Amino acid sequence: MILLDIRNLTLEIESNGVLVKALDKVSLSICEKEIRALVGESGSGKSLIVRAISGSLPPQWIITADRLTWRGQNLLKMSKSERQKIMRRDIAVIFQDPQAALDPSVKLGAQFRESIPNEFINSRWWWQQRAEQNRIAWAQLTRVGIKDVKKCLNSYVHELPDDVCQKFMIAMALVSQPTLLIADDPTRGMETSTKRQIMSLCKNLNRHSDLSILFVSHDLLAISSIAHTITVLYSGQTVEDGPFDSVRRKPFHPYSKALLDSAPSFRPELQPKSPLTALKGTIPTLQHLPIGCRLGPRCPRAQKECVNTPVPRTIHKRQYRCHFPLHIDADENLDGKYEGIDV
Amino acid sequence: MLGTLGRYFNLFFITLFILVGLSFVLAFFFPGDPVFNLTGMSLEELPTSAYTKALADERWFVAFWYYVQSLLDGSWGISTITGLDLFAEISTLLPATIELTAYATIVALLVGIPLGFWCGLKHHRKTDYAFMSISMLMSSFPIFWLSLLLILVVSLQLGWLPMSGRLSLLYDIPHYSGFILLDIYVSDHPYRQEALMDALRHMILPTLSVAFLATAVFLRTTRRAVVDVLEQDYIAAAQTRGIPFWKIFLRHIMRNALLAVLPLLAVQVSTLVTNVMIVETITEWPGIGDWLIQAIYERDYSAIRIGMLVVSTVVVFVTLLIECLSKLFDPTQEQFS
Repeated sequence: MILLDIRNLTLEIESNGVLVKALDKVSLSICEKEIRALVGESGSGKSLIVRAISGSLPPQWIITADRLTWRGQNLLKMSKSERQKIMRRDIAVIFQDPQAALDPSVKLGAQFRESIPNEFINSRWWWQQRAEQNRIAWAQLTRVGIKDVKKCLNSYVHELPDDVCQKFMIAMALVSQPTLLIADDPTRGMETSTKRQIMSLCKNLNRHSDLSILFVSHDLLAISSIAHTITVLYSGQTVEDGPFDSVRRKPFHPYSKALLDSAPSFRPELQPKSPLTALKGTIPTLQHLPIGCRLGPRCPRAQKECVNTPVPRTIHKRQYRCHFPLHIDADENLDGKYEGIDV
Repeated sequence: MLGTLGRYFNLFFITLFILVGLSFVLAFFFPGDPVFNLTGMSLEELPTSAYTKALADERWFVAFWYYVQSLLDGSWGISTITGLDLFAEISTLLPATIELTAYATIVALLVGIPLGFWCGLKHHRKTDYAFMSISMLMSSFPIFWLSLLLILVVSLQLGWLPMSGRLSLLYDIPHYSGFILLDIYVSDHPYRQEALMDALRHMILPTLSVAFLATAVFLRTTRRAVVDVLEQDYIAAAQTRGIPFWKIFLRHIMRNALLAVLPLLAVQVSTLVTNVMIVETITEWPGIGDWLIQAIYERDYSAIRIGMLVVSTVVVFVTLLIECLSKLFDPTQEQFS
């Protein structure tokens, strides 16, 4: 069953009096028990998608979507309190910077107690409630592998190392027993051993508690160890979507290929000291977005048609948005045919 | 925490020492005899003591030592013009100034901070723009002009409030603490109730003129702090946890915004005191500002010296106190110390 279904999500931001599409027709869906990776460079709008789902975007930004549903309920049309209820019980989010995502002036214990849903507390008096809350906090924090729970609960954010804060965020997200966990770059800037712990934690949760995960990251190695499906995002457009292994083997979109090629650990055939392949240029800024396919100016396969936005096309379980996809057209001369064209 | 307190104590005493040194040196920069400027009397008039001996022999460092001692004793010398004892003068004047400052600050805090929160929560909407424009206007009023304007309109034309002074001459309230409301309260004057009302009526105009500017500043500071807090990740994170907005406001926004506002208030103390001194002169409020400006007119050097010392001590003390409190309240400050 599809939990979260997003079709053609567009987010417009006003910048100097002009509306800019920070997200342009993004489509994404997450089924039960699925781990979906959302991949893209920094600035491609990954975090914006997360915030659009969770409803924490500034009110002046314009969100439009053909579908933005949670178990068939329209998230955009429902009332604030209904949406809060879904966010409280069904969807949990962990952020990329745990230090910034926790209130610096409140002790972690108090912040944890605040995120425990009221339904979990059965006692009558506040001291009993507090004891119960502490019990829950203790159990959750031990579960995610925090060693000194007491110290953690009695500390402020700045007193703890980053990885403990991240684990704390995960514990806080999981306390409401959500069905979907949105992890926004949870392993950024972490050392490998901590990263591995967090990844295996996610994996176990998926396997044993049937938790669906939307794993937002640009760490391909981390993604490859857990993701079932992948969505590739470039500059606010979804370029490709499909089962991870199949996309990895044969990327259709030139950007997916470039992204996969940029991770040396994915290419066993790579000779030592050979130069890494990378697309020329950088991701465009919001003020200078190209029309049509936004990869256009950087794409090695770009042609005239690329100024028109490509429509999504589906083959088997995969979806891509490109006029000239790789690995699909049988015409082997495709590359050679356009050599003379000035782009 | 003890470390923070210790550091601020240190800072306070060092600053105080420098101020005392300055006030001593000032006596030499003023025209005339330094001894006369320091004590308000010439050497011949002074009773002989170790202090006067050091002054007579021009052993200035020793004299400075005795000067510090005399300051601590409360023998601050006499006014060169009126001949009154300066310590007694100031101990009646300073409470009046502190009283006016305190009421103005309370009014400004009670109005400015809640409005600032309101504007911050509604930022970039019409209410916010309206209040921002008003506060801009308010903070750009010159205070002496505002004060005169209030007197002209409210006292002279409408005749609602008395235009100057602190209490009508009809009521003879004995001096007890120098704070007029407290003095009236403890006195056994037959018309106590009426005296209290009269004192309050006298207080309204000067309090309003000082509070007018301070309110604008507090409003803008608070609004900025609230807007900054609203942009933080942890507010978005709390929203994604499905916590209702009023809870987020009470637990996260208010706390963090107030912690950010507190140290900024410390900067405002000196402006506030300056404004109070100006208003005192205009409304003839018997405070230290009025007295000090009078002393400057009359070239009463010993009074200027001690007045400057007292005013700056109060400013330094309050500023450091607020800063110290904000350090103690704000847990995030620890990481920098």
